[in-house]
Amino acid sequence: MAEVVLKHIQKIYPNSEPSKKKKKGDEKPHRMNNLKITEEGVVAVDDFNLEVKDREFIVLVGPSGCGKSTTLRMVAGLEDITRGELYIDGKLMNDIEPKDRDIAMVFQNYALYPHMSVRQNMEFPLELRNIPKDERRRRVEEAAEILGITEYLDRKPKALSGGQRQRVAIGRAIVRDPKLLLMDEPLSNLDAKLRNQMRAEIIKLRQKINSTFMYVTHDQTEAMTLGDRIVIMKDGEIQQIGTPQEVFDQPVNQFVAGFIGMPQMNFYAGKLIITESGRYAVKVGDAVIEVSEEKQQNLKQRNTQPQDITVGVRPEHISLNGRESAMIEGTIDVSEMMGSSVHLHINTLGRDSIIIVPTLELKGRSLSIGSTIRFTFGEDVIHMFDADGLNLEYK
Amino acid sequence: MENRQINVRNAIRYGDLYTKLSAVVMGLGMIVRKQIVKGIAILLCEIAFLFYMINTGIASLSLMPSLGDRVQEKVWNEAKQIYEYTAGDNSQQILLAGVVTLFVIAAIITLWILQMRHAYKLQKMSEEGKHIPSMKEDIRALFDKNLHITLMSLPCLGILIFNIVPLVYMISMAFTTYSKEGEHLVLFDWDGLNQFGRVLNMNGNIGRQFWHVLGWTVVWAIFATFLNYILGMILAMIINRKDTKGKAFWRFCFVLSIAVPQFVTLMIMNIMLQPSGAVNVLLKNLGWISSPLPFWTNATWARITIIVINLWVGIPYTMLQVTGILQNIPAELYEAAKMDGAGPVKIFFRITLPYMLFVTTPYLIASFVGNINNFNVIYLLSGGGPTYVGDTAGQTDLLVTWLYKLTIDQQYYNLGAVIGIMTFVILTVITLITYRNSSSYKNEEAFM
Amino acid sequence: MSTVKVTGKKNRQSTRKLTVNILVHLFLAVLAVIWLLPIFWIVLTSFRAEPGAYTNTFLPQGYTLNNYVKLLTDRNVLNFPKMFGNTLIIAICCCIFSTFFVLSVAYSLSRMRFAFRKPYMNLAMILGLFPGFMTMVAQYFILKAMGLTEGSAIRFGLIIVYSACTGLGFQIAKGYFDTIPRSIDEAAIIDGATQWQVFTRITMPLAKPIVIYTVMTSFIAPWVDFIFAKVICRANADQFTVAIGLWNMLQKEYIYQWYTCFAAGAVLISIPIAALFLYMQRFYVEGMGGAVKG
Repeated sequence: MAEVVLKHIQKIYPNSEPSKKKKKGDEKPHRMNNLKITEEGVVAVDDFNLEVKDREFIVLVGPSGCGKSTTLRMVAGLEDITRGELYIDGKLMNDIEPKDRDIAMVFQNYALYPHMSVRQNMEFPLELRNIPKDERRRRVEEAAEILGITEYLDRKPKALSGGQRQRVAIGRAIVRDPKLLLMDEPLSNLDAKLRNQMRAEIIKLRQKINSTFMYVTHDQTEAMTLGDRIVIMKDGEIQQIGTPQEVFDQPVNQFVAGFIGMPQMNFYAGKLIITESGRYAVKVGDAVIEVSEEKQQNLKQRNTQPQDITVGVRPEHISLNGRESAMIEGTIDVSEMMGSSVHLHINTLGRDSIIIVPTLELKGRSLSIGSTIRFTFGEDVIHMFDADGLNLEYK
Repeated sequence: MENRQINVRNAIRYGDLYTKLSAVVMGLGMIVRKQIVKGIAILLCEIAFLFYMINTGIASLSLMPSLGDRVQEKVWNEAKQIYEYTAGDNSQQILLAGVVTLFVIAAIITLWILQMRHAYKLQKMSEEGKHIPSMKEDIRALFDKNLHITLMSLPCLGILIFNIVPLVYMISMAFTTYSKEGEHLVLFDWDGLNQFGRVLNMNGNIGRQFWHVLGWTVVWAIFATFLNYILGMILAMIINRKDTKGKAFWRFCFVLSIAVPQFVTLMIMNIMLQPSGAVNVLLKNLGWISSPLPFWTNATWARITIIVINLWVGIPYTMLQVTGILQNIPAELYEAAKMDGAGPVKIFFRITLPYMLFVTTPYLIASFVGNINNFNVIYLLSGGGPTYVGDTAGQTDLLVTWLYKLTIDQQYYNLGAVIGIMTFVILTVITLITYRNSSSYKNEEAFM
Repeated sequence: MSTVKVTGKKNRQSTRKLTVNILVHLFLAVLAVIWLLPIFWIVLTSFRAEPGAYTNTFLPQGYTLNNYVKLLTDRNVLNFPKMFGNTLIIAICCCIFSTFFVLSVAYSLSRMRFAFRKPYMNLAMILGLFPGFMTMVAQYFILKAMGLTEGSAIRFGLIIVYSACTGLGFQIAKGYFDTIPRSIDEAAIIDGATQWQVFTRITMPLAKPIVIYTVMTSFIAPWVDFIFAKVICRANADQFTVAIGLWNMLQKEYIYQWYTCFAAGAVLISIPIAALFLYMQRFYVEGMGGAVKG
């Protein structure tokens, strides 16, 4: 029901202690915890641009301190927007009070009102909007039905388990039928099993209500499974926006490549070279691998020059069989048996990397710790990053 | 786009006609921009201020330098054939009126600055075509994002009128001759730093007493604070011990003694320890003593008695306050110490005490300040006595009780004010030093 | 009640443990006697038949209820019932104002952010370092200038003196408010509450212990203060509060006749205050915990 547009949004926390800084003399730190510092203060979010479509499920993801929660809180109206414009359904929202934005929010620690019963908790937003009693009752029961918390309506939050509390928090958010539903790490206080369960519930919930979702998490699995599109952030800046498939297959830079995917992508120091036949190839150690046709096109279009690069390959894309000239050698540090596959931690070219090998492929091979292993990767799964960490194909 | 800061200088330099005129006709900037009620209210403040200044304010200020010098006189009225008294000046009222006038002027200047800024802000808003809040919206904001203004105005006003103004008034007295000494109770003059000199001069009578009282005050505060703290903590730990039975009952016994109003218990103690009071009677009846013990009549006895009685008063308080915190000490700390073979005494000094000191430093500072200013215990127990002839301060007087005696009993107002200021200075120094050196200031991370 | 595990699991040293336990309990018993003795003694004195402050025996020779009767009926010399009425009125008004002041200031400082916040807290700390009595005389002069030191206006004067500056004593309440998670406020704001509604409908119910604590301390204050009351009432006997009355009973001119009545009065005043205090102590402990943490 709502489109959300963020244009050049910036958030700066003013320096609270300017006097302290002066004492330190001329030393001018430009980055603290990798956040930019300008004369105005610490830049928590910088030049954030995003258009969220009606009923879309957008996930903001990134390591802690990347500004994702701050962005969400600016959309909610809990933080002032230093610069830039926020539109919801075409209306400028910068100076509108949170209560007039028609949004709801689910907090990480649930933020239920401890002195009210579940029913009162869910009725509270309706009561503040002067909705008649009967209507309130109907809507609370409807929401409780969707979330399966009908039987707890008269309990206090204290008497509920973590998962139930989270349902109540979601219930309180959806009774109002808000245009936009904001969720700030709603699952991170739950244990692993409950988290998986609630994740499925949120996917189901989406089918039942008409709101647009903005969801913040630091967990890339959550982001990949829930989001229609994912916004990956770091140090207050957007790294990439795209569908889960896009960010997985075409990471624009080394950070995104490393952040998305479990276990992490392996990185090797390598070289981009042009072979005698005029084709692009990567050289890792002694191994030379010519890249696929699509990548050849991409590199050619950008007129890419041979250079030192970082080669990225996902663990699941590494295979133990291949042409002899493309083989890389390493020693096994650790081998973890995961059931259907084995995760091998390998020391190659002075770096640690992980290989996932399906158990079936392993038959007859010795994988004892300290033994040497040879592996390679396909021409179409190579990611190439330049010295600045940018993906050469999408630069 | 002009993005000038909203301040008075910009308001005057870049303001339009109305904004500039607001400097003279306060509130005008608001009236022309449809915030009529607010504007008129401010204008009325200005008119009231001018009225006040013309009526009394200017006169009060003009009398401030001399503090008045017309003595009340008898004048023979020929027409009526009677003596008439001419109204003389009353310096104390002149000083008060002067201080109040200064505050009124400060208030109007603040209001002037605020309204200049506001006028400029409104001007900018209307230039940028922004919506200017109406009266109704302003009032609504007072219950929402400006709630602090609504909530804090009255308390701040109370503090200003009944704390800050009196304080400034008393401080100004320290620089006058307002005292019974030399009959300066009606008319007095500015006296510069003379009184401070008297108090600090160790050779003079007042100065000797001051250093004496100061010494005892510090000794008292240290004993009262730390003995109470440590003994109270030990008591709390004994009661909290795993094997102690009837915890609630023991706690109740001690809490009961502070539940009774302090002044009642202190007055009873005072009576009980008189030469013919219950304690001496009891001891005499038991045959342990032949002549009464000099609880209040001997300086050393009185001092020790006061410290001991203060333990009686203070230990239950400490016990109550630290019980919760003691229970918060992570049990692993104790277990680890036990594994390392520490005994109970070592555990107390190595673990409990450092932890408690870390958590309760602010509380300790507060209680130290409270003890330096502890009027009740001294005044009700010993009354500051015993007092040597010719002194205003007794042997157990603290700075506060001496201050009280000097102002209320002796009416040496200027000396009293000086003592008050000295107390403040001493407390500030001590507080800053302890606070700066405390671990909770240096290192805000958690203990461990 | 949970206890600190000072003693871990020890080997069987049961005899030693037993002696230690007996000694500890004996020690506590002795201390309890010392702490309760004066209270016990004053209760005995209030029933004592012989007049006078000093007697030749520790325990009374005869017992009577006359002290209470005299205290409550004798209205000529020291009118105790009237004083009680005065104090009650002052305490109720003072309680309303102070509670409002303290909670308002504490909420504003804890929950809202405004330019004056830090300066206010620093100012409060600085003002707290001045001896309270320094302002007393000046307060009297100001009240006098306002005409609040004569006749029944004294009551207003006392109410003002007791409540005007309570906005400085916000620390414990603020410490408690600080422990309430901010996200609860934010949830309420997004749910559509104004700050005022957050204050009254969320924070107040959640801070019930500290509200009760504030109400009670401000109610108790006028009962136990005698020094401000004395300075402001001066000789206006019909405006005396209970505390000045009791104080006067111990002055030279009255002490012989009134000493046992003083004891009776002390007992009468102490019972409700002690009851309030005992009820309040857990809020006190909770409040302290919050304040120290903050």
